[in-house]
Amino acid sequence: MSRPGIEAIDSAGMYRGLLVYVLIVGAFLMLPLVLAVMLAFSSGGGLEFPPPGLSFKWIVKAAATREFREGLLISAVVAVATGLISAIAGTSAAIAINHFRFRGRAALQALLMAPLSLPGIVIGLAILFTLPAFGLVPGIVATIGGHSVIGVPYVAYMVLASLSNYDMSLDRASASLGAGQWQTFRRITLPIISPGVTAGTVCAMLLSFDNVALSLFLSNGNTLPLRMMQSMQFYTDPSVAAVSVLLVALSLAAVPFLKRSFRETHMERA
Amino acid sequence: MTPGTAASLRRWTPLLWIVPAALVLLPFFFLPLVLLFRNSLNRDDPMLLMVPDFTAINYIKALSDPFYLQLFANTIGAALFVAVIATIIAYPFSYFISRYARRSIGLVVWAVYMPLFVSVIVRVFGWMIVLADSGLLNAMLLKLHFLQTPLRLLFEVDGMLIGMVHRYLPLAILPLFNAMKKIPDELHRASANLGATPSGVIRDVVFPLSVPGIVISLQLTFAGALSDFVLPQVLGSPRFRMLAPAIYAEATTNLSTAMAATLAVLMLVFIIALLGASGYLVKRLTPWMTAR
Repeated sequence: MSRPGIEAIDSAGMYRGLLVYVLIVGAFLMLPLVLAVMLAFSSGGGLEFPPPGLSFKWIVKAAATREFREGLLISAVVAVATGLISAIAGTSAAIAINHFRFRGRAALQALLMAPLSLPGIVIGLAILFTLPAFGLVPGIVATIGGHSVIGVPYVAYMVLASLSNYDMSLDRASASLGAGQWQTFRRITLPIISPGVTAGTVCAMLLSFDNVALSLFLSNGNTLPLRMMQSMQFYTDPSVAAVSVLLVALSLAAVPFLKRSFRETHMERA
Repeated sequence: MTPGTAASLRRWTPLLWIVPAALVLLPFFFLPLVLLFRNSLNRDDPMLLMVPDFTAINYIKALSDPFYLQLFANTIGAALFVAVIATIIAYPFSYFISRYARRSIGLVVWAVYMPLFVSVIVRVFGWMIVLADSGLLNAMLLKLHFLQTPLRLLFEVDGMLIGMVHRYLPLAILPLFNAMKKIPDELHRASANLGATPSGVIRDVVFPLSVPGIVISLQLTFAGALSDFVLPQVLGSPRFRMLAPAIYAEATTNLSTAMAATLAVLMLVFIIALLGASGYLVKRLTPWMTAR
């Protein structure tokens, strides 16, 4: 585990070569995000780079564009509702799978996670076919329902990860002291798994906020990502970049909520 | 986690906990999938839109008409290209961060996760800035006199593929990283002790142990690229049609709802087959993980 041991295996030249490679790939990964944010403050009129000067005119223009403002509002409403539904349904499904042993449990877990591995465009089209059966038309309610299909398994997945070391004797202790199931959940389980619930909910909201494939069929083309896509396809000016700044900032704001849970599930060394 | 918990007392309680998820997934996922399949057996009529029927005509058409065959060939070819290139780029990257993670974890892991968290629209927009005729890449190449006229990349297959490799690279890195971080340092040192050269260690120790990671990386990136809508739609060429935009076009502008359903079912079958194949491969290649 010590540094000298590592150095003895990978020669110094190889280490340096790999380091340069990793930095180049890292730069490649960050490049489009950095450029999009930089262009938002350009004083030029098109996609030219480097920008001729600094200005806030595109931020102002984006803020004054009705489609973007309306899109932001609709996407925010959909994301919050999706987050709420996913938090409740995802957490309770994770409890069902973790706390109980019953027949068909593995199959149930597979079914619960299925939406995560199927393409959004297929799910979106399929839901569109089903809307008339519920008396729905494409709109906010349909979009929330569709986004929740992705959000619920996401929350369940992250809550299951934070339940993996959960000590069931806590529940038995709580029950033997006279607490009911709901009380045990509220006062014992939920505080322990809350990082997972928070991270899952934040993820579900981000996924909803960025979703294109489902909104394409289920909204009226008026969520923020769809508005941005439409404006990119017809004329390209840096006001899309200005909205991008907002989206990057939102993602950055979400990071602290995700950090702890991600470290638990992905970053621990074996 | 052990038998004989509160579970055995109340056999019906798991059902209660699953109700909220069922209320979302039954009407908005499982029922829709059934309807999707049912609609793929209907018939599109130019006058009456979708006519109820029970026919395989759409499947026959999708799998024999040169127009649709070209569509599948384009999509599978592009997805294969993206999967292989992304996995190749990811491999040394994942090796490095899995070996030296604690020293470099902060910035490099950020570079992997950040693009995943930021809207794909922002990423696509960034690539438009790079690839446009007057964009960053052309400006640089012209200035350095590598080119006389700008390269046409945006709204071409090349630009779309670059954007896709970028979009799916993090999905190739994470499984490889997860597979490689499980290789203990002792194994590296022991191999070196026994006289293996650094490249020998990578070839004979790291590579075989990372094969499951490679399979999962290929599967995730392939499935992602296969069903991608945004990149072909925004960066791609109208002359190189891809499956996801085609499904959307059939369902909306072409008013061929049954055909859209058929193409969607075929995409689904393809992705499920892929999942099954990669699951089987991982199981075969890592018998030590299942045999306990």
